[in-house]
Amino acid sequence: MPTLVGIFDRPAPVAEVAKRLRNRGFEKLEIYSPSAFPELDDALDEKPSGVRAWTLVGGLLGVTTGYAVTIWMSVDWPIVIGGKPFASVAPYTIIGFELTILFGGLATLLGLLVVGRLPYGSFGKSDKGYSARFSAEEIGLVVECPERDVAEIDALLRAHHAVEVDLVEA
Amino acid sequence: MAPPPPAMPAAEAIRPPVVPGDSKINRDLMAVTGTPTLGWLALLLAAGGSMLLAGALWTYQVYIGLGIAGYTHPIFWGVYIVTFVFWVGIAHAGTLISAILYLFRAKWRNAINRGAEAMTVFAVLTAAQFLGIHVGRMWKAYFILPYPNQRGLWVNFKSPLMWDTFAISTYATISIVFFYIGLIPDLAIARDRATGWRKLLYTALALGWQGTSRQWKAHSRSVLHLSGLATPLVLSVHSVVSWDFAMSIVPGWHATIFAPYFVAGAIFSGFAMVLTVMIPLRRIYGLEEYITDYHFDNMARFILLTSLIVGYSYFMEYFVAWYSGVEFEKTSFWLRAFGPYWFSTWTMIICNTVIPQLFWSRRLRTHVPTVFVVSTFVNIGMWFERYVIIITGLSREYNPAVWGLYTPTWVELSILAGSFGFFATLFLLFIKIFPVIAISEVKELAIHERAHARGGAH
Repeated sequence: MPTLVGIFDRPAPVAEVAKRLRNRGFEKLEIYSPSAFPELDDALDEKPSGVRAWTLVGGLLGVTTGYAVTIWMSVDWPIVIGGKPFASVAPYTIIGFELTILFGGLATLLGLLVVGRLPYGSFGKSDKGYSARFSAEEIGLVVECPERDVAEIDALLRAHHAVEVDLVEA
Repeated sequence: MAPPPPAMPAAEAIRPPVVPGDSKINRDLMAVTGTPTLGWLALLLAAGGSMLLAGALWTYQVYIGLGIAGYTHPIFWGVYIVTFVFWVGIAHAGTLISAILYLFRAKWRNAINRGAEAMTVFAVLTAAQFLGIHVGRMWKAYFILPYPNQRGLWVNFKSPLMWDTFAISTYATISIVFFYIGLIPDLAIARDRATGWRKLLYTALALGWQGTSRQWKAHSRSVLHLSGLATPLVLSVHSVVSWDFAMSIVPGWHATIFAPYFVAGAIFSGFAMVLTVMIPLRRIYGLEEYITDYHFDNMARFILLTSLIVGYSYFMEYFVAWYSGVEFEKTSFWLRAFGPYWFSTWTMIICNTVIPQLFWSRRLRTHVPTVFVVSTFVNIGMWFERYVIIITGLSREYNPAVWGLYTPTWVELSILAGSFGFFATLFLLFIKIFPVIAISEVKELAIHERAHARGGAH
């Protein structure tokens, strides 16, 4: 299928044209950008990123582990320390807190890898239409479309201030 | 059709683009990783040399025993613990800048966050070694971990030392995760331009990052969530370190003010270290365009604010000692200022509360040599603060019959110097391998500014 790459020098028109293309039923779109632009966050997918679920589950797992480990261990080998109960929840809160952060942070990293589909299988090799320009200062919008729509999409991209439009696969 | 390329100024023509369509920001910031200069090699040699010397001395200490440190009754926490607390404190600026300023949407952090995050990671690694160096028989260090063992014993979770183990290891892990996640997009920039072994390294570390919208969205959320997690963490770490002291009954340590007092001190010293390192770095690599006087001005304001908090804490410690009417507290604090360790106390007070007052003047906050000198004094003052708390506290406890004096030995001082060597070695290697300024974050601002300047549809 032909693939067009529109190259832009600012994010706002990319979001606009992506929205238009999606409204017209083109779903095989990809955006490459050199930085995180808030404008582009929802350009291809309005759903909130799944990373938050990973962080939440990691954090909850951490706090549970923190309290469970400390309480179980002090009951497993009961020694009176400073006249306190074997399972003293107050000092264990510190362990519970630290493990919330630790597990939550590690789960966030895992979430980034899973949701962002990293490591990207082919490593050095690039996806269709990717170029080092997109790790410079340009933003690329890649559109896969049937042959008959090429001319129309080319015109649409240019009308939205694409500085260049390339046909990478015919 | 692509517009014709704009005419290139003479200064830019010296460094031609590596690939077509490259950007000036990429070239400027990746240039730092270029061929090492003689000066860099000399610094690495000095830093690496002092690190190796410290390593040799530590081996010697392991062989001879802790007797070669200046430990003497009743002072069994010396320079090693002082230096541990010092480096943990230094480690606070990175996460503060990355996490807290991120949540506050302070965009000026972009120029300094990478360097500060790297310093955090290296400072925590430096600090962690001192726990091993201090305990003497460090091959038993694993005793602190809760693992199933033949004795059927578990660790004591009611002990602040145990909390500290968890706090420091969590902080080290989260700092590394934060640092790495921020680095991924920049590694992809480097990958697209590098050749040889660097290409291999960056390709492996960048994990195939291409900056797709899905990746950026996940990345932004991860940074946001990590910031949310790291913000309470950064405040907790030095609180927990302070409880190593405050949970005891040593006069001068047993105070509720310790947690906020330590956290403010940590941020104070962390910012000072960022300035001490970034000022020469900016000068040597000509990064004035990216790290501007505005950044130094903002950091100097932080130093002024935290200096006031630290000064207030010093005052409150004395006030509470007097107001409590407890003889031991009063004596302990009197001897801090006028006893055998008066020099450390006055160095601490002058460096941390008097000298930073210069930053009330905007002219001095933006006068780079002044900022450098003040930040260096703050580093010295904050090391002495920990020396004062630990050594004077232990040397003058309740019973005058068991008072004692401690003098650091040459072995301890050389290992202290070696810790700076270790930190500097890691940082010097870091700036030659990874971009020292977060390129993709700087670019976001630049691209937005350009779009605004054109009055484009933004």
